[in-house]
Amino acid sequence: MQMSESQILEGIRSGDRRAFAKLLSICEDDPERAVHLISRLEKRTAHVIGITGSPGVGKSSLINAILDNSDDKKLGVIAVDPSSPFTGGALLGDRIRMQSHATSENFFIRSFASRGALGGLSPSIFEACDAFETFGVDSIFIETVGVGQSDVEIANVADTVIVLLSPDGGDEIQMMKAGLMEIGDIFVINKSDNPMSKALFSKLKSILEMGKKDIPIFLTNCITGEGIKDLVKALDERFSLILKNGSLVEKRKKRMAGHAQAILRKKIDEVLRTIETDRLNLEEIEKTVLRKICDKL
Amino acid sequence: MIKVLVAKPGLDGHDRGAKVIARALRDAGMEVIYTGIRQTPEQIVQTAIDEDVDVVGISILSGAHMKLIPRILELLKQNNSNVAVFVGGIIPEEDAAELKKLGVIEVYGPGTPLSTIVEGIKGYFEHANV
Repeated sequence: MQMSESQILEGIRSGDRRAFAKLLSICEDDPERAVHLISRLEKRTAHVIGITGSPGVGKSSLINAILDNSDDKKLGVIAVDPSSPFTGGALLGDRIRMQSHATSENFFIRSFASRGALGGLSPSIFEACDAFETFGVDSIFIETVGVGQSDVEIANVADTVIVLLSPDGGDEIQMMKAGLMEIGDIFVINKSDNPMSKALFSKLKSILEMGKKDIPIFLTNCITGEGIKDLVKALDERFSLILKNGSLVEKRKKRMAGHAQAILRKKIDEVLRTIETDRLNLEEIEKTVLRKICDKL
Repeated sequence: MIKVLVAKPGLDGHDRGAKVIARALRDAGMEVIYTGIRQTPEQIVQTAIDEDVDVVGISILSGAHMKLIPRILELLKQNNSNVAVFVGGIIPEEDAAELKKLGVIEVYGPGTPLSTIVEGIKGYFEHANV
């Protein structure tokens, strides 16, 4: 059933899931309208936690295990999976690991397709995070697509980034590369029942020490739940800390710049699509786009 | 963009069909959520609402369709949802007719070409004007 804007706003204020689900759809289909609607709602700062790592490393399972250990909290999950560059279609399968929580009143899980966005997130990720903050959640977990080493956009969105590794993921040179390994605030080695996880732990520890930052590493097993309680506690402590020491404010400023960049990129893409690029040379294309962007002011 | 939930209620674990459908709808440019086997009607309906899907595609081979599908339809109604419900699986003709009376848009049996199902869903949205 269609809902009017006032029904959506009223619904969200009274905690109605269907109204909130509609707002998230507006975030995806018409972000400008979503920003306008969100501005009319009360927002409460939530801890935005990004989880990234290669496909199959256990990102969805880790979120499920965290949900298992968070009965007393209200949590949102944004699970992003890739869209096809050929058909635009997508198979969104992250929820499979979390379906035991589908009917939990305290949790709201939503799948997003990447819809052509680079960096492993949805083009509406900023609006979606803001929307979740109007729904009164304590934390928002964002699961990235998980394409791998260049999946770093999450650092512009999340307050805390968890980089998830598994013992079958390659040697230490992989861990010394730039990109993914630089954005972790917390590292988690999953599948801790694999004996190789201990070796990975010590290798990772020595590599992180080279960076001279004190970055915690956790060992988890998402099936037995081993290590999850410690991770949840560390996340809570980190949120209190970044609230207190001002780094959350800094992160949110950085996020706003990231949001502006995302909006501008989208506008450039829109303009580019209206130009017959095959008739122009590179310089002409650039000038035409800039001129058209300026006309929009 | 058509958003579809492919859902498999009940106790049978044979989800090859559901996966083939999910893949075909993906290739037809839809966003498809697949939630795996052994889902309860409550899980299916809550997922459909939270994900704000346009279509729920139910795959069922176990013979429990006359229990589970009416329950799903009833829960959707209780939640004021007008999501379009399509069914695929082993459904006798008389049951299919009954399900359609209850609000199922279409029932697809074994051997239905994938293109028929894709066109059925796309056609519904072209004509229903929703």
